[in-house]
Amino acid sequence: MAKASSTRRRIALMCAVVTFGATAGACSGGTEAVPGANNAAQSMLDRAPVATEAELAASPTAMAIKQRGELFIGASLETPLMSQQNPTTGEAEGFDATLGKLLAKYILGEPKRKIITTTPQIREALIQNSTVDAVIQNYSITPKRAEKVSFAGPYFISGQAVATLKGKPDISRPEDLNGKKVLVATGSTGAGVVKELAPQAQQIAFNTDPECVQALEQGRGDAWVKDLPVIAGETKLNDKIQLASGTFGSDPYGIGIKHGDESFKKFVNGWLKKIQDAGLWQQAYQESLGTVIPGEVPQPPAIGSVAGS
Amino acid sequence: MNVLLDYLPEFGRGVLTTIELTVLSFAGAMLIALVVVSCRVSPVKPLRAFAIAYVEVFQNIPLLLWLILIIFALPEIAINFDLFACAVLALSLYSAAYYAEALRSGINSVAKGQAEAARALGLGFLRTQTSVVLPQALRSVLQPLCNITIGLLMNTAITAGTGIPELTAAANAVNVITSDPLPVYIGAGIVYGLLALLISLVTSRLEKKLVIHR
Repeated sequence: MAKASSTRRRIALMCAVVTFGATAGACSGGTEAVPGANNAAQSMLDRAPVATEAELAASPTAMAIKQRGELFIGASLETPLMSQQNPTTGEAEGFDATLGKLLAKYILGEPKRKIITTTPQIREALIQNSTVDAVIQNYSITPKRAEKVSFAGPYFISGQAVATLKGKPDISRPEDLNGKKVLVATGSTGAGVVKELAPQAQQIAFNTDPECVQALEQGRGDAWVKDLPVIAGETKLNDKIQLASGTFGSDPYGIGIKHGDESFKKFVNGWLKKIQDAGLWQQAYQESLGTVIPGEVPQPPAIGSVAGS
Repeated sequence: MNVLLDYLPEFGRGVLTTIELTVLSFAGAMLIALVVVSCRVSPVKPLRAFAIAYVEVFQNIPLLLWLILIIFALPEIAINFDLFACAVLALSLYSAAYYAEALRSGINSVAKGQAEAARALGLGFLRTQTSVVLPQALRSVLQPLCNITIGLLMNTAITAGTGIPELTAAANAVNVITSDPLPVYIGAGIVYGLLALLISLVTSRLEKKLVIHR
């Protein structure tokens, strides 16, 4: 009974996501944290650094955002632990969502930012035509992408992970995916990695992660490949699926900004360094990914340490 | 443009799947539409009510929702189709509502006397429909049917988000690797345009042969 109702909830959620995805994206902008709703998050914001006049003046892009009074961030609203909309408060929560707020506070003095929901297919285009100032959406730095956009960071090193239904132990290495039906998200790095490491795998692409999970549950695929944080988040929500193996590949996440905007990149990198030194990065990790991924808070990656950043 | 040439096999498979989806869904939708429209003009009240309900339900709920319901909700009641069959089913059911409405306007354009004459000759309702009314109805609504078919072709792109490796999905997959959206999606757009043009050409050929000028 409990299982059936959880599935029903998932279907209802999915329908809601599909129907209201666009509207949710439109209304989520600029909502402030509800006072008292999350004191830890509030105190973290209070401690967050604000850029000095000189730092702002060094980047025309940052100045323009300051003048506009709002930071436009390309992000997701349905990635648990990274950036997921809390249905009761309407606020996006998670590691990426927190970083977005901290960056907005750094530029504007207050965490005023508007989330524009993006998909992997259109991220580069949205940056190029200035619809968003920055994309913070588990955005993997790849050399090809770095030809189109610039990446600040990396701010997190992830890897691909495999999820299967519980009690299906036949997949423990990426090579085991050969000959299997593998679920991937449309336009994700996982699709490329699977093609490289398990060329005989049959890939089935779905638009969203909840759809991938549902398809896995219903036996439309043998495994689901996605970044570790996403898989970790879903296994927390869903007791039918499990993390089948450790991570493979190194997947550095960057903050996508307009190609060649060196001064803004320097500005964002400077901010990343500051929040790492202040322990805010570590706190953001602990409150989101750290609740699921076992082990200590990892060392934040060295800025500029990856090709393409 | 190089991107398109480098990934020609992927795009080729995508185009083939798009064509298969369109052709199969067209056949399915026309079959359903003929049944629905026959119910709509039948003298039996419950059948008319069914036809009206069918058209309203399928025209007023978006295709993507049907697709997701068929893919994810049917397995909950132990009905499992493979993904391609789900896509054809959703596209057929959805487009049938539109075909049925176009056919109905065709039937309305057939003079009442035709059906009366058929009845006077002793033909039953089904015979009257299949031999006298529907052939004339079909010939007078070729153009609207063509437009709906082009719509159906465009709607196949929606299935890209649900695991069908058609043209848009192929474009998405190539874009992940190359991060070069403009040539990739413009190329896909041109192919859709050409396919739509093909449907128009076939229709205008048929029109020259079949259309009844009144």
